[in-house]
Amino acid sequence: MTTYFGVNVVDVIESLPARFREEAAADISGSFGYDLEDAGRWRLTIGGGGLTLTPADVLDDCQAVLITDPQTFVGIQLGKIDAAEAMGLQKLSVTGDRRAFGSIAGLFQKYVPPGQETLSEVELVVLKQTISVGQNFATGPVMGRFLKGLKERKILAIRCPVCGRRQSPPREICAVCRVRNTEWVEVGPKGEMRMLEYVYYASPDPLTGDTRETPYGAIGVLLDGCQDEEVFWHLLNPAQLDQVQMGSVINGRVRKGSRLRPVWAQKRTGSIDDIQYFELDT
Amino acid sequence: MPSDFDTSDCYTIPGKLALPYTYFAGRVGSRFITTLRDRHKIMGVRCDHCDMVLVPPRQTCERCLRDLSDQWCEVGTRGEVVNYTVVRYPDRHQPRPVPFVLAMIRLEGADTPIVHLLEEIAPEQVVIGMAVEAVFAVKTTATIRDIDHFKPCDS
Repeated sequence: MTTYFGVNVVDVIESLPARFREEAAADISGSFGYDLEDAGRWRLTIGGGGLTLTPADVLDDCQAVLITDPQTFVGIQLGKIDAAEAMGLQKLSVTGDRRAFGSIAGLFQKYVPPGQETLSEVELVVLKQTISVGQNFATGPVMGRFLKGLKERKILAIRCPVCGRRQSPPREICAVCRVRNTEWVEVGPKGEMRMLEYVYYASPDPLTGDTRETPYGAIGVLLDGCQDEEVFWHLLNPAQLDQVQMGSVINGRVRKGSRLRPVWAQKRTGSIDDIQYFELDT
Repeated sequence: MPSDFDTSDCYTIPGKLALPYTYFAGRVGSRFITTLRDRHKIMGVRCDHCDMVLVPPRQTCERCLRDLSDQWCEVGTRGEVVNYTVVRYPDRHQPRPVPFVLAMIRLEGADTPIVHLLEEIAPEQVVIGMAVEAVFAVKTTATIRDIDHFKPCDS
């Protein structure tokens, strides 16, 4: 007996009734021929949710006939050969109603060689884990002073002695002028919305390890006392995502953005989370 | 930094960097794990072309790049230590308190070794070539740790 891929072609075709999925065949009826060259010919009759398979010499009365060599047939049944590819290579052809033959392809469960049944059901192993790494953020003198300000409900900015720009959160050095920033000024706490990003894919919060609920709004607020690009980045009240308007100044054309105010945390520890988020100042 | 550097505003904020991730064992790896878990059998794949049995199984032969995803074969739960190391660095991510032994074990019928814990023996008594056998975990985790460890046995 000739085998392909270690499988007997007659076993594959004669197991078709056993692999038939009745529930999928309710709307399908017709007779289909399998012409597997020297391996033999079979007629498959489907109707009323049932199926019969008989060896047949003549397949002329079938709605569609699949003609291929037994190796290609077994390969397709085992999922090793792609039917469309085999057709492209002219190793497989269908006479008659080609679409009808396509419709019966999904009616059969995959052929499993005898003895391999226990290995057939592939359960896929997926592990969801979280690596947790403790860390300490050292504030340094400048960020430390800023965060202490938040504890007292103040938003502090640091001013460059050369160009005068205010940065908040502050940096020790003005990266444009390359001089040490010295002068502290209080800004805000209210401001105008200048930038809004809808975030749909949240990265974990580095302070808590929690992943924020999405979508949330990351905003740039131009705090009162600041100019141009001196925006302060924080979060927007997630309930107000659709109610805010973004302000801009483009070629001298001013468009006013929503006025925002910070919502302070009840318990403030000297961290950026001392501001919960900004909300509409109405 | 100036010598009169004012550190009164310097402090640390404790944080936690958490990295959620999903590990997918793949089709071949999944069958390896589920067979280990459900039947206490260690499966490898055989490359007929290279005449090698690869454990842990992998989809592709590392030498000839042939697809091995259905060339399954069972190997023994006993094997031979081909190399080992003693872990002395304590870390909460380590599977055991230190010191413990990680051994490369070539199972009977396999041509490649797997790395696993070797226990029930003092680290200084481990020798290359000694016979060991798998001890399966009582509680399954659907990981390679479904083998709890290897222990010495009669060769």
